[in-house]
Amino acid sequence: MPAGVATLQGAELRYGFVNEAMQAVLGPAVREGDAVAEHPGAIPTDLLEVMRQVYDADRPFVAKAYCLPLPTTADEKPAPRYFDIALEPVHEGDGPVSGLLLFAVDVTVQEEARQRAHHLSIETRRLDTRLRVLTETVPQITFTVDADSRFEYVSPQWYYFTGQPPTADLNAIWPLLIHPDDRLRVLYQSDTARASGVGWSYEYRLRRHDGQYRWMLSRALPELHAPDQAVFWHGALTEVHDQRELADALRRGEAELRFLADSIPELIWTATAEGFIDYYNHYTGEYSGLTKEELGPTGWINLLEPSEQAGAARRWVQSIATGLPYEGLFRMRRHDGRYRWHIIRARQLTDERGPRWFGTCTDVDDQYRLREVLQTQYDELARTNRDLDTFVYTASHDLKQPVLNLRGLFDELRRSASFDDPEEGEIVGMLDEALLQLDITLQDLAATVQEQRGLSAPVEALDLRSVADEVLLGLRAQVQEAEATVSLDFEAAPTLTYGRANLRSILHNLFSNALKFADPARPLHLTVRSSLTDAGQPVLTVQDNGMGMELPGRPAPVFQPFARQHPHIAGAGVGMYLVQRIVASRGGHLQVSSTVGEGTTFTIHWFES
Amino acid sequence: MIHIVYMSRAVRPLSDQDLQELLMQCRRDNAAHNVTGVLFYSHGNIAQLIEGEKEVLEPLFETISRDGRHSNVIKLVDKPITVRSFSDWSMAFHPLEPSGFEALQGFLLPHHLPPPPSSLSIADSLLVDLVKLAVFGAEEVPAGLGALDA
Ligand SMILES: Cc1cc2nc3c(=O)[nH]c(=O)nc-3n(C[C@H](O)[C@H](O)[C@H](O)COP(=O)(O)O)c2cc1C
Repeated sequence: MPAGVATLQGAELRYGFVNEAMQAVLGPAVREGDAVAEHPGAIPTDLLEVMRQVYDADRPFVAKAYCLPLPTTADEKPAPRYFDIALEPVHEGDGPVSGLLLFAVDVTVQEEARQRAHHLSIETRRLDTRLRVLTETVPQITFTVDADSRFEYVSPQWYYFTGQPPTADLNAIWPLLIHPDDRLRVLYQSDTARASGVGWSYEYRLRRHDGQYRWMLSRALPELHAPDQAVFWHGALTEVHDQRELADALRRGEAELRFLADSIPELIWTATAEGFIDYYNHYTGEYSGLTKEELGPTGWINLLEPSEQAGAARRWVQSIATGLPYEGLFRMRRHDGRYRWHIIRARQLTDERGPRWFGTCTDVDDQYRLREVLQTQYDELARTNRDLDTFVYTASHDLKQPVLNLRGLFDELRRSASFDDPEEGEIVGMLDEALLQLDITLQDLAATVQEQRGLSAPVEALDLRSVADEVLLGLRAQVQEAEATVSLDFEAAPTLTYGRANLRSILHNLFSNALKFADPARPLHLTVRSSLTDAGQPVLTVQDNGMGMELPGRPAPVFQPFARQHPHIAGAGVGMYLVQRIVASRGGHLQVSSTVGEGTTFTIHWFES
Repeated sequence: MIHIVYMSRAVRPLSDQDLQELLMQCRRDNAAHNVTGVLFYSHGNIAQLIEGEKEVLEPLFETISRDGRHSNVIKLVDKPITVRSFSDWSMAFHPLEPSGFEALQGFLLPHHLPPPPSSLSIADSLLVDLVKLAVFGAEEVPAGLGALDA
């Protein structure tokens, strides 16, 4: 915009020449010949006052960036505009002041730019202060270092941390405060970063004011003035000592645990939340002869005895689904193909890392086998013991009659014979005494065993199946060994009214007899059936496919005590004798039919002689 | 022949339409390359078993594991097999709108999944049951599973 020019004439300051630019500033109301005081237009009173003084004093005046609120349309606020204003007195020849020259140059744009710059500088100062407060209050040490590795700035925290005086020469001292073991690495790393104009992030130990070395994390980013031309690096040092110690401890702890797990002669493993094994300890490899890869996430199942695999797998899936502990007794294959009994246990650990499973397989093979042997021996002893009791009972019972006979004969003898020798009379007395003693002893014996074994216990209605199951349970080892199948059929006559201990003893002897005399050439099949005769009397048949035996013509010599059909097979030889005696004592009888090489059938008629 | 089992996470939940498209594309391409198996999907969890010739499966697995629709692909098994255990390729998932899906070839509702076939070893059946459990959760997979019961 061109400068505005106007002439003001006389002491009244009447407008003379007003150029277009000035007319635009003053407004259309102003005309040639008007006095400024009467028609000031845009001219404020202070400027009018200055005009008068310039006129009176005859001295020019210049005002920079003077603000004129320019008239605009009615409803708009006047926008401030800025003018450099010059007032120049005018003389007619050498005469006194006759008027003023008024110049107005619009400098609004420059003025606005200047004001903006002013505001910016205020804002910058404010931000600067804030940045300084922040850098000096954060716990980190902040720094700026130049391309020649000279420190441009370091925050006061550095001095607090290191305990160095403010006068310390940073560049000389800083490297000396780095732990000797880290110094070379740090100098090299920062040097490389600076050389290639990139930032860095590394950890090192820095000496604290108390002489302790603390782990620090140093991170810095380059300030680029041109692409690829870094001039400064700004960064921060953060103390990470405690975190690092913790992480170290954790790492150490994990390594130690692993070492521990790998040193234990026991199979140890861990599994993911989904149930996939992700760690097997060293011993697992040694035991199985397989690598972690060969075992795989579910391959442990292959180590189990094939018949146990499906059940073990099913239970593992259930544990994963429910989070419940896993426990089971399984045979696990060793590298040499031998199976050994193990207890497999696993439990779930849930922490912030989510659930994981920890498991062990403990070798209990020796204990397990020992227990099996002991159990067999125990069962055998219990049976022998029971048989002996029953034997004593029946024998004492059987001896009663001969003793009775003896006494009758003896009484007869005493009555009919006479004794001359008084000593003979004494002997008779002694005999009498002895007989009495024998009788009492037999009675006591019978009573004692009866008490102990409940052999004379009152009869009761017994469920044949449950007694048979009980007896078979006691014989399970022998059943397994003979690979015997036992079929029980008590449907026709499910209950029997009998003494419980007696029934058990009978079944025990019949079953164990069959198991003992099984034919090694074929697995034993034992059929036990109860039925009723036409007369409605209960009968039990026990049939096997064992070795069979030679039955002599004379009645029932099998049932003689100590009669052994197969002398090469262990057994007290009293079993069948007992069965016979018990059955007979209850008014029943026992039948046997047998074919050598095919099998034997015993039939008990419980109440029919 | 080999089979491969992996698990992964969908990058974002797959819609009925996404699943249907995947089902159709895979059934077409897998049939063409004699690839069989099954895919489980639920709430962004993915597990898949594929079986076929090594020369086909290895590049296919490479392609699948680089597919941008899922990530965190973890291969659980990759080993030789003598027989296939799946007659074709199928997918089991819960569509939001099941009505259209029932008639779709190769689609199964998770609770209609047959137990792992007995041609799989017990270790592999266990693996399939565990991934099924991981994908569908315990409610969908009743404890006491499949082939392991036999
Ligand atoms: C979870 C998932 C499973 C997939 N399974 C198969 C598959 O079994 N067979 C197949 O051909 N493509 C499968 N794909 C698709 C492939 O990743 C790939 O997109 C497709 O084979 C097309 O590949 P192309 O573009 O190289 O032809 C699967 C993709 C995803 C996300």
